[in-house]
Amino acid sequence: MSADTSILKPAPLIEGRITPRELDDAVFAPVESFPTGRWLIAVSVTGAIALLFPICIANTILNGIGTWGVNQPVGWGLAIVNFVFWVGIGHAGTLISAILFLFRQKWRTGIARFAEAMTIFAVFCAMQFPLFHTGRPWLAMFWLIPYPNDQRIYQNFRSPLEWDVFAVGTYGLISFMFWYLGLIPDLATARDRAKHPFRKFVYGLLSVGWSGSNRAWTHYEKAYLMFAGLSTPLVLSVHSIVSFDFAVSVIPGWHTTIFPPYFVAGAIFSGFAMVATLIVILRRMFHLKHIITDNHLDLMNKIVIVTSLMVGYAYAMEFFIAWYGGVAVERYVFMNRAMGPYAWAYWTMVICNVVVPQLLWIRRVRRSVLLMYPIVLLINVGMWFERFVIVITSLHRDYLPSSWGMYIPTWTDIGLFVGSFGIFLTFILLFCRFLPSVSVTEMKAALLHTQSAHGGDHE
Amino acid sequence: MSEQEKRRYHSLEYMRRLQTSALSTHVENLTSPEDAAAPDGGISRRELLGRISKASAALAIGATGCERKPRRVIVSRAEGPEYQQPGKALHYASTFTEGPFPYGLNIKTVDGRPIKIDGNPDHPINGGVSNAQVQAWILSLYDPDRLQSPMRGEETASWAKADAAIVEVLKSAASVVVMTRSTLGPSERAMLEEFLRRFPRARHFVHESAHDAPRRAAWRKIYGVEGEWLPRFDAAEIIVSVDADFLGVDGPSLEHTRQFVQARAVNDADPAATAMCRLYAVESAMTLTGSNADHRLRLRPSAMAAFLRALRAALRGDAMRLRRLAEEHGLDERVADAIVDDLRRHRGGALVVAGGHLPENVHAAAAFLNHDLDAPGNTLEWNPQPATLPVSAPSEVAAVLSQGVDALILLGVNPVYDWPGGGFEALLSKAALSVGHDVYRTETLAACSWALPSNHGLESWNDAAPRAGLRSWCQPMIAPLFDTRQEAESLLRWTQILADPDDTIRHFGDWHDYLKHQVAQTFADVSWETCLRTGVLRTDTHTALPDFDATAAEALEQQETVAGSFEAVILPHYAVHDGRFANNAWLQELPDPISKMVWDNAAAISPKTAAALGVREGDMLRIAANGTELRVPALIVPGTMDQVAVLTLGHGRSAGGEVVLAAGGVNVAPLLGRDNPHAPRTLLRVEVSKDSGRRRLVRTQQAFALHGRPIVIDGTLAEFQADPAFVEHKRHLPREADLYAPFDYSKGHKWEMAINLNACTGCNACMIACQAENNIAVVGREECDRGRDMHWIRVDRYLTGDPENPAAHHQPMLCQHCDNAPCENVCPVNATTHSPEGLNEMAYNRCVGTRYCSNNCPYKVRRFNFRAYQDKMLRDPVQELAHNPQVTVRDVGVMEKCTFCVQRINAAKFAARNRGENVKDGAVRTACQEACPAQAIVFGDANDPESLVAKLKRSGRRFRVLEELNVKPNVNYLARIRNPHPGVGDAAESAHAKDSKDKVDMVYAQAPVRPDPINVAAPVNSVHSVHFVHPNNEGQSA
Repeated sequence: MSADTSILKPAPLIEGRITPRELDDAVFAPVESFPTGRWLIAVSVTGAIALLFPICIANTILNGIGTWGVNQPVGWGLAIVNFVFWVGIGHAGTLISAILFLFRQKWRTGIARFAEAMTIFAVFCAMQFPLFHTGRPWLAMFWLIPYPNDQRIYQNFRSPLEWDVFAVGTYGLISFMFWYLGLIPDLATARDRAKHPFRKFVYGLLSVGWSGSNRAWTHYEKAYLMFAGLSTPLVLSVHSIVSFDFAVSVIPGWHTTIFPPYFVAGAIFSGFAMVATLIVILRRMFHLKHIITDNHLDLMNKIVIVTSLMVGYAYAMEFFIAWYGGVAVERYVFMNRAMGPYAWAYWTMVICNVVVPQLLWIRRVRRSVLLMYPIVLLINVGMWFERFVIVITSLHRDYLPSSWGMYIPTWTDIGLFVGSFGIFLTFILLFCRFLPSVSVTEMKAALLHTQSAHGGDHE
Repeated sequence: MSEQEKRRYHSLEYMRRLQTSALSTHVENLTSPEDAAAPDGGISRRELLGRISKASAALAIGATGCERKPRRVIVSRAEGPEYQQPGKALHYASTFTEGPFPYGLNIKTVDGRPIKIDGNPDHPINGGVSNAQVQAWILSLYDPDRLQSPMRGEETASWAKADAAIVEVLKSAASVVVMTRSTLGPSERAMLEEFLRRFPRARHFVHESAHDAPRRAAWRKIYGVEGEWLPRFDAAEIIVSVDADFLGVDGPSLEHTRQFVQARAVNDADPAATAMCRLYAVESAMTLTGSNADHRLRLRPSAMAAFLRALRAALRGDAMRLRRLAEEHGLDERVADAIVDDLRRHRGGALVVAGGHLPENVHAAAAFLNHDLDAPGNTLEWNPQPATLPVSAPSEVAAVLSQGVDALILLGVNPVYDWPGGGFEALLSKAALSVGHDVYRTETLAACSWALPSNHGLESWNDAAPRAGLRSWCQPMIAPLFDTRQEAESLLRWTQILADPDDTIRHFGDWHDYLKHQVAQTFADVSWETCLRTGVLRTDTHTALPDFDATAAEALEQQETVAGSFEAVILPHYAVHDGRFANNAWLQELPDPISKMVWDNAAAISPKTAAALGVREGDMLRIAANGTELRVPALIVPGTMDQVAVLTLGHGRSAGGEVVLAAGGVNVAPLLGRDNPHAPRTLLRVEVSKDSGRRRLVRTQQAFALHGRPIVIDGTLAEFQADPAFVEHKRHLPREADLYAPFDYSKGHKWEMAINLNACTGCNACMIACQAENNIAVVGREECDRGRDMHWIRVDRYLTGDPENPAAHHQPMLCQHCDNAPCENVCPVNATTHSPEGLNEMAYNRCVGTRYCSNNCPYKVRRFNFRAYQDKMLRDPVQELAHNPQVTVRDVGVMEKCTFCVQRINAAKFAARNRGENVKDGAVRTACQEACPAQAIVFGDANDPESLVAKLKRSGRRFRVLEELNVKPNVNYLARIRNPHPGVGDAAESAHAKDSKDKVDMVYAQAPVRPDPINVAAPVNSVHSVHFVHPNNEGQSA
């Protein structure tokens, strides 16, 4: 056979020949060098944007939730849209670090650390919204948690919101521990490389006395595997439970059994799009192109197109079931999505999430930063609008036409959304500056493995 | 001092002041200098202790310290102890003196302060029921915007000073003009005469802008005597209403509603025996009455007389005129023929009523028709003593005032605001002394040299004569909150000073004595206490029917009606009437029963006219008539006659309180003509064109189409008689299964409600009753615009049929207290739970405000405190008193909703337990039920098979809204039965054939951010074509 079989061979994980020392230097360069001007400018911009968040929260608490656009009948607005959006973003990180780990997808090593960090920051942003969207957050922050108290009123475990508390709480905690566990050997490397005693002290503290002994490595590997095992069901469960907020209700457009898989697929879709969006900037900013290669982008884009097809299927199936189910109210809700006053949001969602990603079938598009970047950006937009469509259009016209209304976000709503991006990006920038954004440990393992096999290939 | 301490201190301070003033005779103490004595606003320790002890004493005596007894003995109508018990409500009979008609009241007071007004059950006119204005009157009492002391120009003055200055002028005055409202009580009239007697050239003028002067004038001319016809709707079989909104704003609507509902009662036990009247409404404006009609025709005001003449001709055999008229005005000929047919068949049982705003010739034509139909004595009763005085012709008033008078005294009128054609300030300035006496510092009072504060009606003594043979009394529920005085008291004081020393008028200590004396003279054999206790007194009267002067009527009927291409009618507003209730926030926020607009007035035009003018809702219209031009925003109301603009009085006021200023709208009084002696509120020549600019109009309901959903189910009488359980065939309920065994409610009470849609007229009284009972906040125009109105009960209105002349369906919607409540299982903190008696309960303290319950409520009846709506009211020591002490005031961030008046349920249960018996059916009446003029709402224990609600549940007309969701609501609706003429189709069904769900959806889809009302009222499929769940059944039903 004269066919070119090279296409079947996995691409190398790292481009070019590189020694472990060079790898360390490359990854730790941003951590150890003085911040560049570009980084300082970037962090002051994102920091300023992040300040919008506390300002808008102060406005909300002082003047009531009335400062938002929520009303009757649309009781949930951008806050819940943002919550679902951010939780969804987080999913890519866990998927990459846990599921791909268990499936022995070695290519994940280059991006896993960054994706996990992104997960934690996204979940942090997400958790703000359900708390502050309540009318009385100062009570909600306690009363949703089952602690021993004198009120003798227990939480309502039939409420999906209560499930959320546990689902998202667990998710945030496990993700953080998994991420931190993976960081320990690298923190130790940072400690060992550090020249300044203060740096040494801080990284020493953070690396919790990592000695790199065989015993330590054995425990580390076991714990890592265990956390991967723990995190894997969370990828599926968290967004399933978030989707129950809607699916368990009686509202047409929400009351759908397709929601759990649909939400999970959407979450991974949006998560990968966000990883791709950020990592392209990161690898350019910190000169890691040989570690986070075009090959990584290609593989991520393949996952993007798979999940895009999944959400596309879900969109179509929702319409089909609305028609097939024969419930007039539900039919109306879906007709209203596509042709009602929020049709622009619906079609933005469809175009960004289903139509545009089809370009990724083309290999050249997948591998070209210039071509794939607008696509992943649009997916981020589209996935935000997906949540907007689900939350707003289902509520604004439900059963009794007498109570129909419109939802128009206020500046506080928009400020909180923009501010949450500011917080997220600021965290990302701080992360890149103070922690190794690529797992050096795992990369070294991959390095030794691949480069010993002459030619960079492996089975 | 911290903010909280300050507030606490202020409330103590306030209680002390109230206590002092209640014990002393001089209200001046309220502002006594002693309070200001402490240096730089602080108080000494000694003084503070003193104050606290006084306040504690006040607490001990009056439970809340808000005790404020009137100075004279008032008499409770309750049988119970003469002296109140702390926290226990006492009820007093009184009279509604503020509205256009003096209804009898039953006022609930707790700890010496009135908190709720309902109808006096013993009053023959309104029975125990009330309307929105009666219900909202309590809020006006505690209105801090009231004028609180006499004012000369911009400076406050004492009463002594004011009296001295006014009497000084009066002493030498020759020409004195007193202007009053038309609703003076008999004793007030006597007092006024007594006063005017003292001056050589004294005149009394009556001023009202929302009057029925053309009708009264026509009757005066036709019958030669003063008096009025009282329609007897309960005796009528066929009613033809010509632009008469008798269920809304024309005449004593509470009496009309009670009679009308009685005439439309359905016999559920024996459907065949149901005898139901038929209402034809011929209207230019879409009114509440028209929305309850069996057939509704749209006609221009100028054609009303011709229509009645044509009807009469048709009854006499000449059908051509009616046919020509129908053709000319696009009337449905089948309906016109049906009217003739029905009138012919129901001689003696037919009734024609014409709107009070229409010109005299319409009333002459109606009189001819009524006499032909033998209505007088059968469906019309003659009342020689109307409750209201005839209104003075504006031209006559202007003629007198323009010559300059020595004194002009304006009692409770606001002509500077609502003088026909405007420009009363010029007339006012010609008077040497102008005295305005009113509750608020209105536009008129601001223009007068003296502005005197009047008592609120609940602080006043008075009497009223609603009609011949009927008297009612008004007793104060509380001593005046501010330094105010009753108008009649002022007249008495001034008369006494002017009178000779031996004049008998000097013998009266005050107005109370005068009133008592008057009553004693009229009713020698009835004690004063009895009068006050019952609140109403009936004397037998037999009135002969007046003589019909056909020649006079003919002359009147022949009056030419010359109309331009555009016409307008000016109607009183459903909530704020002529503007006198404009500072009442409850009424401003009460949606118009037809358009659902709040806080505004506008020019209602038909969708077709809007299209012809090229205007969208909110676009400004230029409306010119009688030489005046106004810019009014357009409101698109389906059912309005084409080329007719419907305007309402009462908005666009410029002074008189914060609420007045917050409300929008346009004062349309300048459009009223002055040249016509009685300025009918029908403008036959009007120019209407599109103007620049827009005003965002706020409606609390924006979509009016049913989309084929079985939300309101109704049928025709024929359908009902053929199959009393016809409701079951109008929708398909899926077979639902419960996952868990349902809770057993068979023990103890099971509270349920039944709402008879056949009785409900959509008047909104329930909304204000609920607001007053349950301390529901007002949110303001902007928040309403955001969709945050707080009403626990609302009245939904849906339109079906012809988009230009739709049939309306009213449906009160409140928390359905579902036994499978979707709100309950989604609350993460268990703040909303179900009681074993079937109530869906809210624990406000537990609520953290996730709003999940509201999202998951299919009825969207939950209300959220998006902002601290109550803060302002709670901070104001006077407004705070308007709260019902038995209901929690909700804070920001908390969800609230209808509780089925749980405080009343518990009170009834405690009372029954104390008596050792079970709660009797009817012992618990919810606030909405108590107020409902149509008595459409019934509440009770469904576990008691003999209870009314249990009986109504067994009716074939019973259905529950969204029953198919298996939420098991505890509110039962009884289907409305329409009674169309057999020869004509059902108006609600006429669009049935061409309905298309998708088309309607498309129309919605194109709607801009704010749904365009033309689209909103687009043709919708009737409720009869509903296939709810089973796709297999598609196309089978209907």
